[in-house]
Order: sequence, then structure tokens, then C-alpha cells
Amino acid sequence: MAKHIISLTVNGVREYVEVPSNMTLLTLLRERLGLTGTKDGCSAGECGACTVLMNFEPVNACLTLAVEAEDAVILTVEGLPQDGRLDPVQQAIIDHGATQCGFCTPGVILSARALLDRNPSPSEWEIKDALRGNLCRCTGYTRIIRAIQDAAVGGADD
Amino acid sequence: MTEHHEVPSPIGEKVKRVDALDKVTGEAVFADDLKFGSDLLHGRVVRSVHPHALIKGIDSSKALTLPGVKAVVTGEDTTNRIGLYLKDRYTFCRDRVRYVGDPVAGVIATSVEIAETGCDLIDIEYQFLEPVLDPLQGIQERAPLIHPDLGEYPVADFIFPKPGTNISNHFKVRKGDVEAAWSNCEVIIEKSFHVPHIQHAPIEPHVAVAQVDHTGRITLWGSSQSPFAQRNLIAESLGISQRDVRVISPYVGGGFGSKAGVSMEALAVVMAQAVPGHPVKVRLTREEEFFCAFVRQGLVAKIKVGATKDGKLLAMKTEYYWDAGAYTEYGVNITRAAGYSSTGPYEIPNVWCDSYCVYTNHPVGGPMRGFGMPEIHWGIEQVMDMVAEELQMDKVDFRLLNCLRAGSITATGSEMHPTGLTECITQSAQAIQWSTEETASAPHKRRGKGIAIMWKAPAMPPNAGSSAWIRFNEDATISIGIGGQELGQGSHTVATQMAAATLGVPMEWIHISGPIDTEYSPYEWQTVASRLTWSMGNAIVEAAKDARGQILDLVAEHWGEDSQNLDIKEGLVISYRSEQTLPLQNLVVYGLPKADGSGWRGGPIIGHGNFMPTYVTSLDYETGQGERAVVHFTTGCQAVDLEVDTETGQITLLRVASAFDVGKAINPDQVRAQMEGGVVQGASTTLFEHLKLEDGVPVNPSFVDYRIASSVDAPAEIIPIIVEVPQDDGPWGARGIGEHSMVPTAPAIANALADALNLRILDLPLTAEKVFFALQEKGGAT
Amino acid sequence: MILPLPDLPSFDYIRPKSYQQVSELLHQQSEDVRPFMGGTDLFVQMRDQIIAPKILVDVKLLPGMISIEYDHEVGLHLGAAVNLNAIAKHPEVIEYYPLLVEAANSVASYQLRNRATIGGNLCNASPAADMAPSLLILEAKLIAVGLNGERVIPVNEFFRAPGENALERGELLKRIEIKPPPEGWFGKYLKLGRNAEGDLAIAGVAVLGFPDQTAESGYRFRIALSSVAPTPIQALKAEEILNQGPISEESIEAAAITSRDACQPIDDVRASGNYRKAMVEVLIRRGLEEVWSAIQVGG
Repeated sequence: MAKHIISLTVNGVREYVEVPSNMTLLTLLRERLGLTGTKDGCSAGECGACTVLMNFEPVNACLTLAVEAEDAVILTVEGLPQDGRLDPVQQAIIDHGATQCGFCTPGVILSARALLDRNPSPSEWEIKDALRGNLCRCTGYTRIIRAIQDAAVGGADD
Repeated sequence: MTEHHEVPSPIGEKVKRVDALDKVTGEAVFADDLKFGSDLLHGRVVRSVHPHALIKGIDSSKALTLPGVKAVVTGEDTTNRIGLYLKDRYTFCRDRVRYVGDPVAGVIATSVEIAETGCDLIDIEYQFLEPVLDPLQGIQERAPLIHPDLGEYPVADFIFPKPGTNISNHFKVRKGDVEAAWSNCEVIIEKSFHVPHIQHAPIEPHVAVAQVDHTGRITLWGSSQSPFAQRNLIAESLGISQRDVRVISPYVGGGFGSKAGVSMEALAVVMAQAVPGHPVKVRLTREEEFFCAFVRQGLVAKIKVGATKDGKLLAMKTEYYWDAGAYTEYGVNITRAAGYSSTGPYEIPNVWCDSYCVYTNHPVGGPMRGFGMPEIHWGIEQVMDMVAEELQMDKVDFRLLNCLRAGSITATGSEMHPTGLTECITQSAQAIQWSTEETASAPHKRRGKGIAIMWKAPAMPPNAGSSAWIRFNEDATISIGIGGQELGQGSHTVATQMAAATLGVPMEWIHISGPIDTEYSPYEWQTVASRLTWSMGNAIVEAAKDARGQILDLVAEHWGEDSQNLDIKEGLVISYRSEQTLPLQNLVVYGLPKADGSGWRGGPIIGHGNFMPTYVTSLDYETGQGERAVVHFTTGCQAVDLEVDTETGQITLLRVASAFDVGKAINPDQVRAQMEGGVVQGASTTLFEHLKLEDGVPVNPSFVDYRIASSVDAPAEIIPIIVEVPQDDGPWGARGIGEHSMVPTAPAIANALADALNLRILDLPLTAEKVFFALQEKGGAT
Repeated sequence: MILPLPDLPSFDYIRPKSYQQVSELLHQQSEDVRPFMGGTDLFVQMRDQIIAPKILVDVKLLPGMISIEYDHEVGLHLGAAVNLNAIAKHPEVIEYYPLLVEAANSVASYQLRNRATIGGNLCNASPAADMAPSLLILEAKLIAVGLNGERVIPVNEFFRAPGENALERGELLKRIEIKPPPEGWFGKYLKLGRNAEGDLAIAGVAVLGFPDQTAESGYRFRIALSSVAPTPIQALKAEEILNQGPISEESIEAAAITSRDACQPIDDVRASGNYRKAMVEVLIRRGLEEVWSAIQVGG
């Protein structure tokens, strides 16, 4: 099986890695780059626990090949805080008690971040719709939705 | 009393989760995130493709020649049976497979891919046996026997298997004279209900890594609700000391029961024994989760209830047939819990119950949030609605008339403790404007309201214990050792609050030591049964009191005062008598110098505490009667306001009110969070979830076809309501809430649907298709 | 074993230099080579061991594969590897083909739609393909490229059987061409899943209507369905009822019933065939009512 040497930017850091063709972006992040904040919940693009931003758009890292990330800019949950300050979505999740077991949380946060980037003041329905690919078995979603509404307002103030 | 400023106690306050920062930053470590270096090997498992067969031969020779394969293990490598209440299985099958997915062999290799290829190279010869695919078939006299050796299995003394049958437990209740009572009933309703298998579907799949050193000592890292129970059961099954098994478990990415007891973890241990020195990792795929992790047992429930003309419940007879699957880690005790809770939260003078745990060739039934209670309440609460309908009584009034109160006698002849059930009923009914008829949003839609009540006790051995320690650092910050696991329910936060309140220090000073490590963490039976706030909480309070007592005695001696006059407030020891103060810093580790320079007193403070209920009595085998069947019951109620599309059968939940008597909400915000999450998980299991089994094979083992509620499915409004009638032996009066919040959801939805459409569906789930055809059969909506 | 592989099996990943190279690869080793765009279905099929390609050719890197072009004269040209979010976000698609936006947004989740492509949705030839009904009623043309250059396949000739499309050995779907929308048109994609949004369709219905003097009723309707037959299908008889007119509650009902009767749905893990049939009738009626009220007002 062929290997590929690729370069990509992950959380602002330029990385050069050799990856086999069948390595997913998820495996690259978790096992090569040690970024275990991105989770593997189904390996089939259904649960959203592996959601990361690739060139500023959310993707299921389990269904994306590492080699496709050549020259891409990747953002994972570890890269969200800026200058030691949490992203407003992260802060809102804490404030609203919108995490329980926490396994879906990084993916939820990245989906929400991307939503607010493309739509700074989403309606409740738009939030629900943007999150429908991030399964959460604990919270019942209500607090997550409120947290994102809050982050949207707070984000506008920033 | 001397003047001092009151320090607010964190108990009952809105306090943020102590684990939230870890979880929003990705810092929280889960078992799959642990790193093991290049020695790590990977295990994959060859699983039975037949529901029931004898193993005639296993040929591993081809697999062993595959480069990268280090070893193959089979049932030959296991000696003793394993199991929590009934030791009924080998970690790898020895002579027989009993479900599709039963582990037959394990391949250990340098990569997952090689291990998987190795699995494909193992040839297994089977002799097929007739399967049992239904509990009603399983109890027939001529049914194929799934466990011919049932009589030889070690079993807990409150579980009663019937050797020579497929019944692994039979729990009976005989109270009053049910048969005589029917003739005094004005209304009798008798119905049969079916609850299918569902799956817990935590977002984190199971993962375990085991390593065996050259002396045979075992370390197991895993995602576990039960590190101590795993240590105990695995040690017993291997015939080694608990001392020589160490279980380490970081954060758990959702459990709901699926990570309780021992499921796949023992596979990793047996595989690791074949390659001493190497850690061996086994991780279930999502699809394996559906095949091979626990499922919630199926249930066939036959329920007969009678009431007098004035609406008083007089008699209730139930038969519960649990589809326990191939083995019964917890199923036997779910069967028991269903028996002693068989009436639901009602006072009924004449009760008869037979609850049978029946082996089938289905996936292994395990505990799932509610431990049998969502399943039995599905039928109970619909039957109660039907009785009320027949009597033309309001369903809220009917429940208020018959529900348990303090002093009521339960099905097992025990006296009910104080409980806020009536308050839960009235408040949740009020929250959805129970008596107000609402208009549907379109001509083809119908609106309906329904209500359901519940009770649930922690179902556990009578002497399940907890312990805790509290240790100070030099700067008076505190490490707390607990063996209870943070699954998302918020136990770390509650533990921190309780310790801070008892010690008199700010919450921020406290850190919960982690990961849970049986080598260093104090004993905790298991993180199940919604028991931590109550049981572990008591242990923490004891530990904090112990530490506090040591500190006060030390300072009292130092000051020449009586420790009775001393207190700790915000980390300062204060004297109400002399008004002296002393910060905790340093003295909690270094002690205090004697005033005359003759030396020091004190030493590093470490407090310890434990809790174990001592008052639970056994129940008579023939009648199920006893003085105190359980430690306590949490009661509650949910009221649902929904709309149903009569053209498609789709149900939309508009409002769900959820009221529970938690004794005391240590952290009200987290209690509400449990209620919200419980409603949505409950709604998901009601509307969508069904692990479909065809000849024992799960045919929808993925999130594509096993739908769980996503954000767009959450009810428009959830109204959580906290009721507080204190528990006499709970910390600050608290009792559990984690599981309870999804118990009444399904029947509440079914009752609302009945209100909307005037039809009853007795089988879960209430899919749009099922509702549509039920409506067609009835001849359409009125 | 019935369980999928834990990881993606081995394959080689190739970045092609030209359409010609892709066609040659596909022609020479058709069993072993697969064009690869989003991977959302492909990887799942590979883990399920339904297919085991040795080479994946990342065709989305070829020129034009991810382009969206709109022209009032020519209409809309979509590269086959355009992802569904790109369609749903494109200003001219939103303005002129809102039906496509609805269909695209009905698929799975936002993050999956960043990967799932329109070409993949069509080429899988799933009976449940969400983009297919809309493209059928918009009379899209599919441009395939092979060793002998480009070939046009009308979309209604593209779906052969479940999982089987009209591409020949060596051919790659390159582009989807859709005419400019008819004047005064309105379209609707209605989909029923097991939960509120994002499921595979139990039944999917696309309805389009526009004023047309050549039709007896003065309006022309088009109807297509997914998940209710071995391939996505058009409900031509039902269309005919409406085209003949007059448009009324009765003719809409007749069209809905006729559509229902045109289906040959199967029972599967998602729904029974009978439920699917019943739902087709409901969805078509709802779709037609909405379209009819919109084009009357708009027209």
C-alpha cells in the first residue's frame, strides 16, 4: 500500500506526516498527532463525535482520508482556545451545564463553532438542524441548544 | 454565638460541573485516549454467527502462521465461569455458543488489521442446535435447554434458578388473596404488553486494555461503571487474588448500564494472559456494540388489575417473562426488582406476581437505565389509565387516590417511607395544564395529554457498600478519593459539594482524584442503581467529618480549648469562644508546634469514611414478603402534551413535565439536567428504538438503522420539577434521580397518544408506522 | 462474519492527472478501481466488505468536478463532486432551484453533507437517493466521460437497479446539467424518515409545477419518488392526470392515489412496503397542494 507524505496545518501548527492511503483523518489526529480530543464513536459518519473543521467547515474525520488533508487547515477542539481564553461556545457549554459524559462534546462544540461562523445569530431551529449530526445520549440537547444561543449573543459582543 | 460571617454552603446551590472544563477542551481522558507505546498489541474476536450451536472443533493453525499474529486464545484458555449474580458463562465459549456474537476465539496481533485478518483464518466447526428466540418459547417444558448445567452454577443467595429449565430466576409475590378479590372489583383490565430489545448506545464504544506481568498480576484499563466489581469477578474467574488484579478507569463516555459489571473486558484479560508483558487492546466497533455489548432485555408482561366502583385498586396480578438472552449478568436481579416493584407505585392489598428470567439465544441482556422499571411501567401505567377510563375517572385523580404515600404497604409487605409522589403528580399535571383541552395545529393532527407515575429502588445486594478518603495537600487543597465513576451524571461535582460543605472549605480547593484505580481508590460497589449521591455521598460526609474532627482536635489541643467550640469556615479554623483563627494551610500536613518548643503535634490529615446499608431484609421465597425489601424508592411523574399527525402517524412531543422526589437536590441544576436527558432518552426509546432480531441476528446494528433521538427530535419544551421529601439516611436527605427520569416517559407518551387518538398500542416502540396502522385498523381518527 | 471491519481495508489512493487517465484506469481494472469523491457511502461499503477496491482515484481533484455554474440561457451545471452543502449554499441555486436546496438539506447531517457529493448520491443508484427525484423532475442530463469522450445520459435512463447505474466500463460521471427553470415554477421535496430529520427516506417525493399553455389544464406537473421502487421513479400517469386537468382537490387526490399505485416498495428494516405506499399518497397530496397554491398565486 502506498504511503503519502503530506503537509497540513493542525491547530495552527504545520505538520509533515507520512500516512498510508487508508488512514483516516481521525486516526491521523488521534494516533499520530496525539490529539485525542476528537473521538471515534461509530466510524461511519453517523454520530459526529469525530467532527473537526477542515478548511473552516465541519467534516466527519472518520470518513475523511488523511491524505485528503494535504495542505488543509484543520481545527480540533484542542485548537479552539485563543490566547488562553476559551471559545465562547466552550464557555457557554460550561455555564449551561451542557456537557455530561463529555464524549460528544468536542464534536458538538466544533459543529456549533462552524454554525456561528457562517450564521452569527441562528434561530433555535437552525441550531437544532446544525447539530443533528452530533448525537448526544446524555443531555437531551436542550442545554446544548441554550448554550449555543447564549454563545451567539456573547460572541456578538466580543 | 460569637460573630462570624456565614459561609454559604454549596449544597442545593447552582454549582458548575467540576468536570466541565476538562470536557469542553478535550482534556478529559477516556479509555481509548490512553497511550501505551509500541508494546501495544491489538485483539480482535471471532464471534459466533449462530444463535445456538455446539463447538465441535476450532482450527487456529492458519491464523497462527500469519505474520504479526502473536497468539490465539479460545475457551480452552478459560477455567472458571464468570458472572455477577449467577456465574453462567465462560469468557470465551468452551463447548457451546448461545448467541450471534458469542466470543469463540481471540486473535492477538501487532495491528487491528492483522488481528482481524487472523480472525478470518480461524475455522470453527459447529453442530447447530435449535435456538430459543422467545421467552414464552423458552419456558415451555420441551424447549431446548440453553444451559444444561444451570444447577452447577454458583449463584447469589437471593436468586433462584430452576435447573433443567431455561429459567435463571423466578421471583414470586403472594400478598393477600388475589383470586378472591376479583369478584369484588367493579372494573378489571387484563392486557399483554411487549417491550423489545433496545441498546444503550453510549456514544463511547467499549474499550479495554489489559496487561499481565510475568508474575501474573493483571492491570486492566477500561471504560467502566464497575471497576471494583470487575476486579472481583475477573479475579474469581481466574482463580487469583483480588490483590493481583488492578482496574483503572478514566472518564466514561456514557454508560446507562452497558458498562456495568463485566462484559467485554474479560476478553482483553484472557488475551493479555497469552502475551505476558504486552498490553492488549480490544475496542468494540459500533456494530459490535449492538451485537455483543449488553442490550436491554425484552419483556412480555401480562397484567391484570381490578378496582372497586369508587376507584380503589383492589387486586393486581402480573406475569413478567424477561427475554434475558444467552447469559444473565444482571438480568436475574432485574427480574427480582420487577417482582418487588411489580405493582408500580400503588397501594394494592392483593398482589400476585411471577417474574421469570428466561434464557434465550438473543444478545446478552444487561442493566439499562431504569433496571427493569421502564419496561414494567410501560404496561402498568397503561393498564392504570384503562382502569380509570373504564371508571370514567380523571387519570390524575385516579392516581392520587391510589398512589403510595408514607406508611402505605408495598407489594412486599414493607412500609413505604415518606415520599412526595402526590406532589410530583399534581405539579407535573399542572405544568402542562392538564385540564385544559388544547387545539391541534392542523386539521389532520390531534392533540393529547397523558400522565404516568413511577417508583424505583436501587436494585443491588443488600450490603452494597461505599467508601471515601480525604487527603490534604500542604496548601490545604484537598484530594478526594472515591471509587464512584463519573459517567456524566455529575457525581464528581456532587462529591465535591458534599466534601466542601462538610469540611468548611471552598469547593475550588477540592479535586477528585482520578482516574478510578482499584489500587488507590477506595472501594465502591458499582456506579449503578442511581446510588452514588446517596451511598457514596454518605461515605464522603463520613470521611470529611473524620478529617474535620482530626483537625479540630489538633487545633483545640493547640489552643487549649474544647473542640466543640471550634469550627472550620472557608478554610479557617475558628473558635467561637476565643475568636482565634488559624488557616488550614500547613497544619493539615505538618501539624503544629507546641508552644513550649518541646516538639510538634499532629501529622498529615487523612479522613476516611464508609457507608453500607445494614437494614435490608431478605424476602420470603414463596411470598416475596419481608420487612424492608430495599433501601428506598425514588418516586416521580411525567406528564406529556403531544400532537400526532393522523396521516403519517408521526408523534411530536410539545411539552413534557418531569417531577421527581429526589429527597434533597444537592445540585438542582444537575438534577434538572438528569430529568431533561432522561426525557429525551425515554422519548427516543419510545418513538424509535428497537434492536430488531431476526433468528437471533441484529439486523439494524448501526446508527443508520438504529435511530436514536438527535437534536431535531427533542421535545419543544421540557419542564423539570424538583420535589424534596427528605430521605432519612441520605446525605442532606438526598436520594437518586439518574435512572428514574426515563422510567415513566414511554407510558406517559402512550397515554397521551391514547388521549389524542382513542387507541392503545401495547408494543413498543411507537413508530409512526405503527401508529398509522393502528389508526387505520380503528377506522381513522375521530 | 456479518460484522463490518473495524477499519478501512488497504487500498492505494491516487490523484489523477486527467479524465483520460481515470477512464483508462477504470477501463483496465474496473473491478479494482473506484472513483472516489466524498467517501460517505464508499467507505461504509468497504467496511461492510460489499466492495473491496484496490485503488481509489480522487476524481474530485479534476478540473470542473467541484464547479457550480449558472447561466440564464444554459441553466445550472454542477460538477459531479460538488458537495451537497455547496449546492444548498449557492446563491443562484437558492434563487432558481430551491427544490435542490431542500433535497440537499434533507440528507443526513451538515458535516456529512460537506463530504457527500451530488455525483455520489446519483452513482450509488440507491432507491433512496435524495437528489434523484428532484433531478428527475428537472429533467437533468448527466454527462459521463469515458475513453471516447463525453456522453449525455438523461437522468431518467441513469438508474438501472438498486446499486446499478447506466455508466459503462471506463466511464465517470462528470457533470450534471439542468435547464433553466420554467417560468413561474414551484417545487417541493417532501421526505419522511423514522425520526424528524436526517434519516434515509422511508419515502421521498419531489413535486414540480408550472404554468404551461401546451398542457390542457394550463399547468404542467412533474412528480418523482424515491425509496418506493427498485430505483427512483417518475409518476408519469399521475402527472398526466394533472396535465389534463382541471386541477382540483379531486384530481390531486387521484394523482396521489395513482402515484401510490405506481410504487413497488419493499419491506425492509426501515418500513413496510404498505406504509411506504400509504405515505407516498400523503406526501404527494401535500406536495401537490403546496405547489398548486404557490403557482396559482405566483402565476
